[in-house]
Amino acid sequence: MKSKADVVIIGGGVNGCSLAYRLAKKGLDVVVVEKKYLSSGATGACGAGIRQQWSTRENASLAIQSVKIFEQLSKELGQDIEFRQGGYLIAVHDEKEMKQVEKNVAMQRSLGLKVAILKPEEITDVVPILDVKGMRAIGATFCPTDGHANPFKTTFAYADAARRLGAEINTHTTVTDVKTTQKAIRAVVTDQKTIQTSVVVNAAGIYSKSIAEMVKIKLPLCPFRKEIMATERLQPLFEAMVISFRDGIYFSQQKEGQIVGGIPISEEKVGYKTMPTFAFLQYMAQTLTRYAPILKHINLLRHWTGFYDVTPDARPILGEVKEVKGFLQCNGFSGHGFMISPMVSKLLTDLIADGKTSEELENLSLERFKSKKIEKELSVVG
Amino acid sequence: MRIRAHPIIDFKKRKELPFYFQKKKIVGEEGDTIASALHAAGVRTLTTSLKYKSPRGFFCGIGKCSSCLMRVNGVPNVRTCIAPLKEGIQVEMQEKLAELPNAEFFGEPKKTIDVDVLIVGAGPAGLCAAIECAKQGVSVLIVDENQRVGGQLIKQTHKFFGSKQERAGTRGIDIAKELEDDLRKLESEKKITVMTDATVIGCYESDKKYRFGAVERCDYKSILYDVRCNAVILACGAMENMLLFPGNDLPGVYGAGAVQTLMNVYGVMPGKRVLMVGAGNVGLIVSYQLLQAGSVVNRIVEAAPSIGGYNVHAAKLRRCGVLIQTSHSIKEVCGEKKVEGAVLIRLDVNWKPIKDSEEYIKCDTICLAVGLTPSTRLLSQIGVHLDYIPEAGGYVAPHDESMQTSVKGVYVAGDASGIEEASTAMIEGKIAGLAAAIQLGGSRNKKLLVQYREELVQLRAGPFGEKPRIAKEKIAKLAEVHHASV
Repeated sequence: MKSKADVVIIGGGVNGCSLAYRLAKKGLDVVVVEKKYLSSGATGACGAGIRQQWSTRENASLAIQSVKIFEQLSKELGQDIEFRQGGYLIAVHDEKEMKQVEKNVAMQRSLGLKVAILKPEEITDVVPILDVKGMRAIGATFCPTDGHANPFKTTFAYADAARRLGAEINTHTTVTDVKTTQKAIRAVVTDQKTIQTSVVVNAAGIYSKSIAEMVKIKLPLCPFRKEIMATERLQPLFEAMVISFRDGIYFSQQKEGQIVGGIPISEEKVGYKTMPTFAFLQYMAQTLTRYAPILKHINLLRHWTGFYDVTPDARPILGEVKEVKGFLQCNGFSGHGFMISPMVSKLLTDLIADGKTSEELENLSLERFKSKKIEKELSVVG
Repeated sequence: MRIRAHPIIDFKKRKELPFYFQKKKIVGEEGDTIASALHAAGVRTLTTSLKYKSPRGFFCGIGKCSSCLMRVNGVPNVRTCIAPLKEGIQVEMQEKLAELPNAEFFGEPKKTIDVDVLIVGAGPAGLCAAIECAKQGVSVLIVDENQRVGGQLIKQTHKFFGSKQERAGTRGIDIAKELEDDLRKLESEKKITVMTDATVIGCYESDKKYRFGAVERCDYKSILYDVRCNAVILACGAMENMLLFPGNDLPGVYGAGAVQTLMNVYGVMPGKRVLMVGAGNVGLIVSYQLLQAGSVVNRIVEAAPSIGGYNVHAAKLRRCGVLIQTSHSIKEVCGEKKVEGAVLIRLDVNWKPIKDSEEYIKCDTICLAVGLTPSTRLLSQIGVHLDYIPEAGGYVAPHDESMQTSVKGVYVAGDASGIEEASTAMIEGKIAGLAAAIQLGGSRNKKLLVQYREELVQLRAGPFGEKPRIAKEKIAKLAEVHHASV
């Protein structure tokens, strides 16, 4: 393990590894420190969806540019990340929601995104197994370039590429302290070794809060347990990810045939709880079969929990904090860290390697929570 | 092919059950599973692999692998090796990913069961735990994946070694019968609820009691149970290890347990000419049982430089003319659609293949007896601390003298707590059952607990108990670190 580095990234999820790759490509000496194994946190537990249909301009823009990167990422990294564009179908349930949707779609189209607003009878043209009445939908939006990728393979591909460029990735290594001198980063202390550095990127998911506390920074992060299930493998039935912001449900069929999806349970509260719930089984089964009755009686094979690191406005915290020089945030993704990881790592690389900041980074800095007016992301699911 | 004449088991013809395979009529017998009936009728290929479309057949026989998934009465992905055969059913092969079910379903809501102790697995450990618990007046639910209780005992036709208390000199099949009689008696007294053909699917968040989900299968469809309990004993047994070589998935390559199940439970001959891989006790005993069933055991190969099993077993086989070759292994299987032969290879002292030492032998069956791995997935999901102990067969839960794991109220017993033997599994089951009863206030008989522990120590004291003794010593040391306070 190295004892000196230009940048130390804390967290071996998709964001930590993609950032390691981009920084190493710029010739920087990068060390990643991961407590467990690569993708062991939110990355490995996520629903793997990649969506561009957001309500805030930042998120939509980050996602659109990320998809452009995802489209050629397998080639760039030299490994198949199983990126597939089957589209996202978002159910709309009433007139009020439709008004918000029209506003969102207008904004998304202004960014160059192709999005269609579907009439109820057009929904089954996209996903034939849906029961529009059961969904209680008055319409839907559909973006054909949304899709999904394999979060494990994406993370491993980034990590392998980063290693080839000289980055050092240490798994099963726990950060015990972050040292500063005169309000600037000096070193990262781990249970193995101490690494001298002037730049630390806090990409530790729900644990980012405790990392920040080591330098007396308070992050407004709340861990929310989320549950996902996977069914037995079935013949190909549909390609799109189906979601509803009102019901909170999302589901898609993976390349291998299993249907993967999730839904929040109503009594869920903030906390580091890892056990799955019986209530999820029942609620997911009820809602899924209301949306697609023909999925009745298929077996659920697996069910797991993961965490969203949720911020007050459901948008990530990115960039350097004002109080400590060289301490950068890359957390608070609120459940969509995987899908915007390509752009997040690009923006942070521009900042770290070239000292170039951007409007996005400015808008997503920790500072924004000091002002009273924050724009909340409304299109959150799961 | 059915076995009709057997020196130990009476395989008289049972009631005929006609059913359909790929629309063709086949006749099975009462007590068969779907896969055993198909095997008896000469059907070797049960499914094809999704990626390379290679044929797959009967492999584990206990519902652990996926090489027997078929569509039964319109229900996809049925594990036919454990699904009971019923008259008139339609069995179809799934050529590709399963189609949606087109069967009528119950649509029954979940049912709730409230008990003191849930026991997962009705093998020697689970049965003894259940009987011990119920005797102390503690209410018990015991769940097992198979149609019959008894676990691996119901296929063990050999006489047990060990201590008198643990029925040395008695055959496994007879012990299974005795334990089942005890269980059924307690069941009729409403002290135990027995749920067979059912799976405990997971542990869920709960405030006071433990909460588990269980799925009971009935006519190839399932009913969900919401199980609440104060303690749980995990006696889920073990899974057979696989060996890597070209052709290891061809129909005709079986796990040793599957071979035993086929011939000793269902009276179906696995094959005529058998190559046994592994000369531990399982490999030796199953080889002898194959001879008893009327098969030819061509050869036994063992990668280690010496025979791992008891000498008495090896000597018996040698007297029957079976060649046991140590420092030998299987290199590959020959055959397109089924096993037609195998290439053997000699190994040097470092277990590396010796060049040009290959030998071809003809056989239609390859039986893998290369060890077991404890089934610890449910333990892991509950959050029990696990450690890797090679002598115990892999990851196991450190447990104290009462078989309690790092999580209070969660007990282990039998192979799930480290690979050993049925006789030790039975005592471990008794200890776990009694300890759970004491913990829940159902008993104060700590003297009996001490007696059981002494029996266990004595049983392990023999010359063949060395490996499990080392394993259990390591487990005890780790338990001090991770132990839940009793």
